[in-house]
Amino acid sequence: MPRRKPPIWGGRLQELGMLLPACILIALFLLLPFLSSFEIALTNQRLIPRPVPVRFVGLGNFQQILTDSAFWTALWNVTRFTVMVLPIQCGFALAIALLLNQKLPFRNFFRGLFFLPAITSMVVVCVIWSTLFQYPTGPFNQIVGFLSFGLVSPIDWLGDPTWAMPSIVLLSAWQAYGFQMIVYLAGLQNIPETLYEAAELDGANAWQRFWNVTMPSLRQTHIFVLIITTIQAFKLFTQVNILTQGGPRGTTDTLVHYMFTAGFVDQRLGLASAVAILLFLIVLVVSLVQRFVVRDRR
Amino acid sequence: MSTVVSASTPSPVAKVSAKPDIGAIVKFVAVLIIALVVISPLFLLFVASLKPDRFQILADMGSFRAFWVSEPSLQNFTDIATFSGALPFGRYLVNSLIILFCTVLGGVFLNSMAAFVLAWGRLPGRAVVLTALIGLYIVPQESIVLPLLSLVNKVGLGDSFAAQILPWMASPLYIFLIYQFFIQVPRDIYDAATVDGASPFRIYWSVFLPLSLPVLATVAILLGIETWNQYLWPLMVTQTDYARPISVGIASFFGHDSVYWNSAMAASVMMMVPVLIFYLAFQKWFVSSFISSAVKG
Repeated sequence: MPRRKPPIWGGRLQELGMLLPACILIALFLLLPFLSSFEIALTNQRLIPRPVPVRFVGLGNFQQILTDSAFWTALWNVTRFTVMVLPIQCGFALAIALLLNQKLPFRNFFRGLFFLPAITSMVVVCVIWSTLFQYPTGPFNQIVGFLSFGLVSPIDWLGDPTWAMPSIVLLSAWQAYGFQMIVYLAGLQNIPETLYEAAELDGANAWQRFWNVTMPSLRQTHIFVLIITTIQAFKLFTQVNILTQGGPRGTTDTLVHYMFTAGFVDQRLGLASAVAILLFLIVLVVSLVQRFVVRDRR
Repeated sequence: MSTVVSASTPSPVAKVSAKPDIGAIVKFVAVLIIALVVISPLFLLFVASLKPDRFQILADMGSFRAFWVSEPSLQNFTDIATFSGALPFGRYLVNSLIILFCTVLGGVFLNSMAAFVLAWGRLPGRAVVLTALIGLYIVPQESIVLPLLSLVNKVGLGDSFAAQILPWMASPLYIFLIYQFFIQVPRDIYDAATVDGASPFRIYWSVFLPLSLPVLATVAILLGIETWNQYLWPLMVTQTDYARPISVGIASFFGHDSVYWNSAMAASVMMMVPVLIFYLAFQKWFVSSFISSAVKG
């Protein structure tokens, strides 16, 4: 041990000075709003305070939400979105990752190219895709018309209750698959080459190698990708807010959009905080499932 | 790592032979076609932004003319730059850059300082702080924005730059990412610095910061992308053009009777270009950043 006496108190004060700025910001802008949302959710507080005093309403907000059919529609829509987007987005990401994991000229260039949508802002994606979805002469309608020899009449993709959500799904999957793709690429690169060599010696063909070597080795990656995509899917907002405003006829209303409308548009802060808490609980449960599943197998 | 390994192992003789086999060509062409189809929407955007006539943009969209511009013009961009378009996009872009610069600079600095103390400090209660941070990481931004909005309005920070910078600078995730990097630094390095009698800040500043450029770049990239693409929060907190970022500016084109497609396209390109430049310059860093956020988050 060095005999030299370190300036303990000065040093500790300095450490405090280094730790506090970040902690104060997090306490003020994350912890405080989070804790206060539990308090606000039990009141009838408005976003812009009224002269009327704020009243304690107990679980009234939760009761109101849970008996509101629009809330259940939003929850159902977000579930529908998740169920549709998970296989499309993750399946496409895995397929591209498998292609790009092979020996290929310009492989790094392709990896860079395929990752481009992931760094594109959702707002920009909405600008592009709203032109693709144009009714009646946009590219998608042209393709549908061409493939069906003009038999299928143009579809109002974002304005038709049947097609609005699938359209949002397609656009969202296109924007976000890049992230899952690089996670899968990282997972694929961790599979030891010897496993494939052994399988080849055993006479396994490419299909068998995929199902018996690649897929089982990717188990942890699958779990991670599914969980993170689910959490992202439940937070669906930007696309819906910009392109459909939750319509047509509420078919693309989502939890966050419901919360936004209740709290920001209708100014009912108490009600919106109750939705925020439910959203937090959903995310919490999904994360806990992940911890549980991952720990279970280790 | 594994790419290095596979490159150094001698490849099978068949693959070194001069004649490329037909399967490899088919595969390459397949990847090329998929890539072109997947990336074509971005290409459409860049082409359309060079067409000043918004009705022409829509008319072209339904045919292959969407991929071609016969008389490219920068009219849309000059409109934006000279503030003479439908909305002050030049202003929105500058606002976004200010918010980005302050958030990333402050975020990298504050998060790494806190992470250093948590990893190497002697302050009592560090473990408690660390546990609390990890617990808070799970709270989604969407769950706190409305109470936060009410709070920000109460203290008179509504419609300001501060309201868009301060809440997102410090973040449990980034503190944790840097913390994980710092604890892997060998003890000897820290001890050597303390023997010299350096203060904690000195050790952090002149020993640990220079060591940790990779993780700082990761945080800067992730925080930068996140800040640049923020939508929900600025949508609620900005009421005027004063501090409005470009994302909300572009979105405000929608919902009007006639969308100014030409301006919207040009503004979208301007929103993409800064990200694209950084991405092209630091592509490897971008990809590894996203992976590290995934594996550790």
